[in-house]
Amino acid sequence: MFWRLKLGRGKEGEIISLFREHITIIRDACELFLECIREKDRVTISEVCEMEKLGDTIRREIVLKLYDGAFLPGIRGNLYRLAETLDEVLDTVEDAAIMFMMIPELDEGVMAKCVRIAEINLKMADELLKTFEALRNESDLRDRTIKIRIMEEEVDAIKREIFRRLMETDVQSFWQGMAIYNFIRHLTNVSDLIEDAGDIIQILNVSLR
Amino acid sequence: MLEVLPLIACILIAFSIGSNDTSNAFGICIGAGIITFRRAVYLLGVFVFIGGILQGKNVMKTVGRELVSINVLILSIALLVSAFMIVFANWKRLPVSSHQAIIGSLVGAGMALGASVRYDTLLKIIESWIISPLGSMLLAMVVYSICEILFRRMPLFKVERILRTLLLLNGMIIAYNTGANELATALGPIVYYGILTPIEAVAVGTLMLWLGAMCLSSRVIETVGKGITSLDAFSGFSAQFSAGMNVLIFTTLGMPVSTTYCIIGGIMGVGILKGVETVRFDLLKRIMLSWILTPLLSFATCYLISLLSIS
Repeated sequence: MFWRLKLGRGKEGEIISLFREHITIIRDACELFLECIREKDRVTISEVCEMEKLGDTIRREIVLKLYDGAFLPGIRGNLYRLAETLDEVLDTVEDAAIMFMMIPELDEGVMAKCVRIAEINLKMADELLKTFEALRNESDLRDRTIKIRIMEEEVDAIKREIFRRLMETDVQSFWQGMAIYNFIRHLTNVSDLIEDAGDIIQILNVSLR
Repeated sequence: MLEVLPLIACILIAFSIGSNDTSNAFGICIGAGIITFRRAVYLLGVFVFIGGILQGKNVMKTVGRELVSINVLILSIALLVSAFMIVFANWKRLPVSSHQAIIGSLVGAGMALGASVRYDTLLKIIESWIISPLGSMLLAMVVYSICEILFRRMPLFKVERILRTLLLLNGMIIAYNTGANELATALGPIVYYGILTPIEAVAVGTLMLWLGAMCLSSRVIETVGKGITSLDAFSGFSAQFSAGMNVLIFTTLGMPVSTTYCIIGGIMGVGILKGVETVRFDLLKRIMLSWILTPLLSFATCYLISLLSIS
């Protein structure tokens, strides 16, 4: 038992690895999404759906291991919330990918801004992974979560610009407009959810002190 | 034949301590999922035995030789009444100290039957009962403050891992104290009357305590751990550690003190540090009432029964 506690293996170590894997999948999904919308590739983007399924499996494993009694009760609740939020991030990336397959080609200016948002999402996922890793070797995560928050604010500003431009654009039908709106909404929600996940990590970090 | 009665009473007390004090030692660890109930009970057995063998003699000597000059009638009445009180308190989920019941009973029966009672020893024991929870309270405040400063600079997963290890070590210390102090208080009179040798007494006592833990533990901790103030792992550690250290000091001095009351003192200390409003004074009053009534009631009951037995 002591060697397990000392080396951080056992259920706790497995959960930490699962979280790392979960965030890495988010990062990979964001990267694939970015490449696909940059190349206007509407076929490869469907692979994001497979990644979402994998994420779902990991979430279930984390929850089961937490239920088995991994970690002290004081932080189990927040770890569960983190797993749920990470799952929502992947769901939202998947929703954005599905919408991208449905929408017509967008105006170049709008598309460039969408690519910029996808780039920021990828950077945020990278930063989220670093923030989670920091739970193992840093005591103060404020600077890291502030970085995530600043990137999210940038996405918010771009989102407003996109909607301003879209209002001036004609659409062929209500459903086409709806699909474009949903694409933008899901794309921008990814950053919101990554920010939420960052906040949960920050709460986790202070929960035992 | 009359010598069998104190032995039966002792076995009953050891069984009750087991059902009561596994929660003191490993309650937080079991609740936090650090250790399974079964493993906790095995660890309890091992450390109770080690405690009884290594340091049990100090407390046995105070209770069995230095408090009252014992005869078989005093022994039978005192231990049977104590056993009844402890079992009843466990059944009613009251955090009653087995030490107080045993000491009160021995003094009550001794006085009624004309045995010489050493009041200087009694005074020292009562002083220990007052000082030990207060000491735990102060130590818990110091431990909590130090940990707060130390843990603030450590990463979360490291803090979590250290806390889990410390909680487990705390459990072992409390289990050790249970053998060296709690069980020794019950065994002292029968050892010094010559019914069993210290090693035999510790072996039988540990076995019965272990059985009690296996069959009936996990009851009083609900009142102790959750009732007085909301208790997280960090506060639980501070309270338990200070109680463990306090009881260890008093055990070395040969004073029979209650782990339960020391933990309550520790929890109070942490509660006060977090803000006095977090302490549930209504429940604390109930515990203090039990602290005063237990020795008085056991004293009075044994005194009356002993007078009746003479007449």
